[in-house]
Parts: sequence; structure tokens; C-alpha cells
Amino acid sequence: MAAAAAEPHCRCETLEVSAEAAAILLAFAMRESEAPAVELGGALERIDQALRPLDGPPGRELLTRDLAACVRALQFHDRLMQQLAVIRNLLTRLTDQPLPQMAGFGALRWEELLTALRERLAAVSHEELFELLVRTGGVGVPGAGHAELAEGSTELF
Amino acid sequence: MARILAVDDSPSMRQLVKLALSSGGHEVDVAIDGVEALQVAEKQQFDVVITDVNMPNMDGISLVRELRRRSNYRFVPLLMLTTESTAERKQQGKEAGATGWLVKPFDPARLLSTVAKVLT
Repeated sequence: MAAAAAEPHCRCETLEVSAEAAAILLAFAMRESEAPAVELGGALERIDQALRPLDGPPGRELLTRDLAACVRALQFHDRLMQQLAVIRNLLTRLTDQPLPQMAGFGALRWEELLTALRERLAAVSHEELFELLVRTGGVGVPGAGHAELAEGSTELF
Repeated sequence: MARILAVDDSPSMRQLVKLALSSGGHEVDVAIDGVEALQVAEKQQFDVVITDVNMPNMDGISLVRELRRRSNYRFVPLLMLTTESTAERKQQGKEAGATGWLVKPFDPARLLSTVAKVLT
């Protein structure tokens, strides 16, 4: 009887924890994907500037077309971010306290977000999940992830 | 060549809009939201403003409304560049005073031709 009465509460709690964990995971994934997209955009800008002295058909025309294709394709990232933000917001609405808005995911706001998230972690399982995610992402925690290889690195023996 | 202010909360989108416009010979400044855009627009005069709609602090439609209240931006082309494609939202932009509504993803050549069109 007691177990049956407690069940709905447990389910609710589990849902809240799952939603919160999913929202945290999404926030990290979005934050992580921003840097490569910005890097790509920067590289395109430099390529465009480097090619300007070479103005003149037909080479420039082809390159302009390719650059335009890159610009169009890279906007996929922005669209994905918007879709993920909607999902994140839906998830955070399931919990009592919404996550802070993270416009632009700038470094300062990111630190604010990490601080705010840490303050909310009441359960040990939350803390473990959070630290695991931060370590996997390699951001936000000084000293975290030192034992792991950075993405794109090479190790020779 | 025109002086253009591009407003978007996404760093990659700001970069791409800037790249597309500067490759067309325009001088481009950027702002991360409506609040920053207003501050920048008060310090210098732009020939065109291109703004996203959904942004924190101040959205693009509010930005357009605010800019239209200023005498030096009453006749400046204000373009919305957004993923929002509903007729209702577009109408809100029109009523706020927007000159045009471009739906993302944008094509660089089309963006440049739209800018050229609104400048003439």
C-alpha cells in the first residue's frame, strides 16, 4: 500500500531528474558545437579575403559559388541550435526552476550557467552526472579532463 | 558600398551575414541583440539594418519599432532575417516598420541583391 502510494511521487521525481539531465546534456552539446561552427565561419572569411586579389573570371566565379554554398550549409548549425533551444526550454519547463537564458552561449554567460547549474545540484547522482558531462565536454572545470586526450590530438608511443 | 548593421544572437550567423555582405563590398558592424544594436545605431548612422527576430533582451521586431521612433532611422531600410516564416509574425514585423522579411537560410547573392534593391 505504502509502495503504491509512493510510486507516483517516484515517477515524478524520476521524470524531473531525467528532464533536467537531458536539458543539461543539450546545453553542453549546444555549447560544444558552437566553437567549430564559429571556427568554420572564420576560416571562410579568411579564404574570402585571401581570394580577393585574385578577382576575375572564371576561377573567382567558381570559388564565389563554393563560398556561397558553404555559407548556406553552415546556417544549418544555427537552425539546429534554435531547434535544440526549443527542446531545452521544453525540458526545463518540466522542472521547478528554469535554467538561465543562454543567449549566444558567450563565455561569461556560460560560466554563469555552470555556476547556476552547480547550485541546483542537490542529489549526488545529479552532481556525478554533471561532473561527468563537464569532464567529457572538457569545458568549464579547471583541471577537468587532463587525463583524457583532447579532441583531434595524436598520441604516439 | 553601404554601412550595414547586422544583428543576431548567434555568433556563427553574425559571421556568415558579415562575410556575405563584406564580400559584396559593404562595411558591416554587428550586434548581439536589440539592446546592443540600439546602442551601436545611436553612435553611428547605418544605411541598412539586418536583424534576426528571436533574440534575448530585445527581439528584432522591438528593435525595428524602436529604430523607427528615431528620426534618423525613419527611412532607413530595416530587414528581418529569420527562421520565422509565419504570416502572423511577418505581419508583426511589417506593422513595426520592417522593410523586408528574409527567411533563413539565406543565399549570399540573394541577400546582396536584396540589399542593393532596398538601397536604391
